Amino acid sequence: MLPAVSVSGLTKSYGRLTALSDVSLTIRDGEVLGLIGPNGAGKTTLFECLAGVLPYDAGTVAFDGAALPPRARASRIFYVPDGIAPWPAQSVRWALDFAIGFFGGRADRRAEVIERLALTPFLSSPIGTLSKGQRKRAVLAIGMLTPHPVLMIDEPFDGLDLRQTREVGAALRDHAADHRTLFLSIHQISDAARVCDRFVLLSGGRVRGEGTIDELRGIANPNSGNPDNPLNSSDLEAIVLARM
Amino acid sequence: MPACRSPFAWLIAKEWRELLASRAWWVMLALIGPLVGVSFISAVRTYAELSGLNGTSAGVGEAFSPLIGVWAPTFSACELAAAFLLPFVAIRVVGGDRQSGALKLETQQPMPPVWRIAAKAVVLLAAWLVAMTPAAAAAVLWRGYGGSVYPPEFAALAFGHVLNAGLTIALAAAAASLTEHPSTAAIVTLSVTVGTWVVNFIAAVHGGLWQRIAEYTPTAMVAQFQHGLVRLDVTLASIVLTLTGLAIAAVWMQIGAPVLRRVSESAMVAAIAAALLLGATFTWQSWDLSEARINSLPEPDEQVLARIHEPLHMEIHFAPEDPRRTDLEAKTLSKLRRAMPKLQVTYVSATSTGLFEQTAAHYGEIFYDLGGRRAENRLTSSDGVLDTIYSLAGVAPPAETDDSVFRGHPLAVPPRRAGTVFYGIWPALVLAAALFHRRHA
Repeated sequence: MLPAVSVSGLTKSYGRLTALSDVSLTIRDGEVLGLIGPNGAGKTTLFECLAGVLPYDAGTVAFDGAALPPRARASRIFYVPDGIAPWPAQSVRWALDFAIGFFGGRADRRAEVIERLALTPFLSSPIGTLSKGQRKRAVLAIGMLTPHPVLMIDEPFDGLDLRQTREVGAALRDHAADHRTLFLSIHQISDAARVCDRFVLLSGGRVRGEGTIDELRGIANPNSGNPDNPLNSSDLEAIVLARM
Repeated sequence: MPACRSPFAWLIAKEWRELLASRAWWVMLALIGPLVGVSFISAVRTYAELSGLNGTSAGVGEAFSPLIGVWAPTFSACELAAAFLLPFVAIRVVGGDRQSGALKLETQQPMPPVWRIAAKAVVLLAAWLVAMTPAAAAAVLWRGYGGSVYPPEFAALAFGHVLNAGLTIALAAAAASLTEHPSTAAIVTLSVTVGTWVVNFIAAVHGGLWQRIAEYTPTAMVAQFQHGLVRLDVTLASIVLTLTGLAIAAVWMQIGAPVLRRVSESAMVAAIAAALLLGATFTWQSWDLSEARINSLPEPDEQVLARIHEPLHMEIHFAPEDPRRTDLEAKTLSKLRRAMPKLQVTYVSATSTGLFEQTAAHYGEIFYDLGGRRAENRLTSSDGVLDTIYSLAGVAPPAETDDSVFRGHPLAVPPRRAGTVFYGIWPALVLAAALFHRRHA
């Protein structure tokens, strides 16, 4: 796969606190890349800097090899923040229509996205009256209807129960299969392992590793690689803990 | 879903929906009716009494102008609403996106931030026009009573209040963009409003440059429109200040831009605005749209003054708080400036009150210099000033005539049904509309 987005030397400080330090990573075209790391690792800050909604101190972002300055990000990358309740007085139905109309999204996918994210029962409800999980699915739907080639979602499973997590995970996988690159920030390692192709491990504002689970395990413990033994989420958790 | 709408049209639709979803808007709409009602009913009652109602000697109100007697006080309710209610509506519309997180989504549409703030401004101005409906209802009632409405002066007054609302919207938008929380934005907005009142107060005490600056505060601007006077410099200054506020709001809506860049862009906007404001102060055109020509000298005098082309300089020895200066300024000089654009007035005083300056040499005197010909006297009446100028210019004063005297429109009718309209029907309509919207949104 060709790299869709390459990030190099991204640095962001809040006064004396360095939130991101020399972050470099690659998002490959059509993949589902997971950003994993403990709370306070800088995942949300990294997403907001990449999306161009938060200024950063240094670093470059390129799309398909060409520099992508913050003002131009809006044409390539769409970011779905965590914990927002946009247009709380408006109905979910209207918010989806607005996302399609305002961002030039794909109206032909509207019905499919509504069905995959089980939004039908509360399409007429104002977003501000939804539960956390319902709101999360509504906001995910907005992201999935936008036309940008790269979709970044901060904590896509936050607020969802186990069944919903699986269904949304499957919907995201299918979405990626339809020529869209996903970059997901996930703090639940088990969820990340189920959905993502590769991972970027972020801790203390630094990238501690990037690759598949096998590659990360190789970085964490060079002697632990065993191609005959398939890895699972607990292996990934162990890798994360080892690299923190 | 209309697919052919442009992103800007979607934004306008969204802002309108957000406005209708805002309680601040419905509260403002509900309150502005009774506010206009109180002002209108009180003004009409006073107007009627002065016109001879309930035994008052008839004829006193013959020179009464509906603009001064009815419309200025009625529209003052709009001024009150613009200062204390509209900012909350504007802050809700501008700051709501930041609070809900919608701004992070919307900012990812590659649309210039100016368009985003323009959509909000358009909707807020439309909202203000809707909020001025009670004032229009007052005009309908007045006509129903048999009262006179002179469209040019009514339009000037309404235009002034729209400009004033634009200033408030721009200020609130800038405050909402600059601050993180709506309550902070509200404090900033109200502080600036109170600050302009302080400028007016200082101007009244100190005069000079403060007085010049105070002419462009919202209160002073509205006061001129309330007299049916449309000044190009004031209008341009209002528009420039409104656009400046909106531009600064647009700059600070770029949440992804470094703070230093936003500061430098704001400074650039402020510099351009300062240059434009300075340019606006050099324009002198004005239009007296009042039926009574209360901002103008009598037409025969204006015709004679128009024949005097030499620059006139007046050095006036009155302190800022001397009532003679206020009288001279309001009744003569403000009108003379319109007739003689080359008039230059210099005030000279050592104190602000003039109380202990009365015995000082030249205090109370007015020195005239018209093309090198000089005169001095203590006359502060309009006739006295004009006669001095005519004498210096060597022109004959116009013959006195009563033809152009405004006779007024006395109306001895009580404000019938106004209470029902403003205290009953209007709030009920607003409540019904709010409930209907809530059910069908």
